[in-house]
Amino acid sequence: MQASAPETLLTIRDLHKKFCKDIRYNLMHGTRDMVEQAFGLESDYMTLRKKEFWSLSGIDLDVKEGDILAVIGANGSGKTTLMRLISGIYPIQKGDMNFSPQTRVTPIFALRSGMHPLFTGRENINIKGAMYGMTKEQIDEKMDFIVEFSDLGDFLDMPLGNYSSGMKARLAYTVAIATDPNIFIIDEALAVGDSMFKAKCFDHLQEFVKQPKRAVIFVSNHIHKVLRLANRVAILDKGVKIFESSDIPESVDYYMNNCLGRLDQKSREHMLERVKFYEL
Amino acid sequence: MRRSKVQIGNVNYDYGNVFQGWGHVMRNLREYRFFIQQLLRIYLLAPFKKSLIGAMWLFIFPLLTVIIWIFLHGAGIVDPGETGVPYPVFVLLGTTIWSLFINIYKSSSQIIVDSGSLLVMNKFPYETLIVGRLLENIITFSIPLVINIVVLLFFGIKFTWLSLLFPLTLIPILLFGLTIGLFVALLRVVAVDLCNVVDEGMKVLMYLTPIVYAPKIKIGWLTHIIDYNPLTYLVGLPRDILAQGEIYEPTKYLICTAVVFIACPLMIRFYLYTKPRVLERLINN
Repeated sequence: MQASAPETLLTIRDLHKKFCKDIRYNLMHGTRDMVEQAFGLESDYMTLRKKEFWSLSGIDLDVKEGDILAVIGANGSGKTTLMRLISGIYPIQKGDMNFSPQTRVTPIFALRSGMHPLFTGRENINIKGAMYGMTKEQIDEKMDFIVEFSDLGDFLDMPLGNYSSGMKARLAYTVAIATDPNIFIIDEALAVGDSMFKAKCFDHLQEFVKQPKRAVIFVSNHIHKVLRLANRVAILDKGVKIFESSDIPESVDYYMNNCLGRLDQKSREHMLERVKFYEL
Repeated sequence: MRRSKVQIGNVNYDYGNVFQGWGHVMRNLREYRFFIQQLLRIYLLAPFKKSLIGAMWLFIFPLLTVIIWIFLHGAGIVDPGETGVPYPVFVLLGTTIWSLFINIYKSSSQIIVDSGSLLVMNKFPYETLIVGRLLENIITFSIPLVINIVVLLFFGIKFTWLSLLFPLTLIPILLFGLTIGLFVALLRVVAVDLCNVVDEGMKVLMYLTPIVYAPKIKIGWLTHIIDYNPLTYLVGLPRDILAQGEIYEPTKYLICTAVVFIACPLMIRFYLYTKPRVLERLINN
């Protein structure tokens, strides 16, 4: 019997997002937009006003079940903006984003975000879980999993402010995965944490995407992690998707060559050698 | 065509349509009621987590306010005019009702800036923050209210059946503070200069509202300002109902209430509609 094609969980077409690089113009454009919205007016989004730039321009992307999609690109290439648009944090003003019905998206952008240092780990499970839209009953149901997976033991009854970055990472990751998302977004959130826990997370992600209607999108510039974890790579450069492939080594080579493209031949070889030395 | 419906938590979002109607708002609030409880825990408990006497400060602050005003009155520094009830009662009730207005204004006007990093890193319905702040203010108001009632009894104030209306008469001033606060919350991101003007204006407004002096005071231009100031009626009627069992300027109070009841939902709608686009202009520290 032939296996059915993986379902597309998310389709993005011609997605644009612009920002303003100057604080004063940012405020000026923001005030104007607010007034226009108050009167139901909409200016042409595709026209850049003074000091505005495209953070994302014409992005097309599909996320299918089983994907562990790495989104990579130099700093400022638009990765986090794209993740915030997928997560619904920023509104979509130009472009289409279609999710398959009942798709649940859970993003982790920063480990401490939404957690409170003065409350215990256990109290923060409730805070963060509730923020993801879980009810008390759903959190209680997942509590054993959270306690077991995070492996924080008695630390769960200590204030979060006393946790190390790695311990916060354990808690944040575990609560996020306990929401049982269809699309799990990890934006540089696993850069900290001890090697044991990272390995546990990576194993978990590999198993996670084997379930039906599950996919992971992770933003990372750690080449080694991309090579080990991803089964598809999308490369962004200045807000444009310049490459996409399931051939991970080829994608990484393309990314590094693109990053180093502005250098002359000698500097490029030297930098490539240094990057490989530290990253691989 | 944009079809960007997605489920986050138990809530379905439509990314293209930022305000999806009041039914959707109510559904979001129901689905996120546990989050609202958690917000309330943070708002009420976090400020006192590092304090030895903890939430006792909620009682101490209003008591200090009363003592200061009684001292000023005793020293003859303020001449309140004809207040109808003992001055401590008058000033205590006035400042407590004013604090409900100014506190909801402060907390709602800071709602985007204070929660900035939270909002750009997490997706949850914005209305939960508004309800969280409203509930926080209602709870923190109820504590000085208990002190008020004790002081009123101490000064021999006799409550009437009209006094039972007191909590209901506070709803307009609460919603008035919220309405202005939400508007300033948006300005705080995109028009900082304007919001500074409003913030300073609020400080002056307290002295232009009959809180520590009687509304019947006759001081030239101040008399006109008091007449046209909606807070004169939104503060005055609840205070007189509780302290004197009288209804102060019912027609003007009802006009102000009607305006607030129309303006507040419109402002919440505008805020929920505009906030996503304002949020992307927020520059986090």
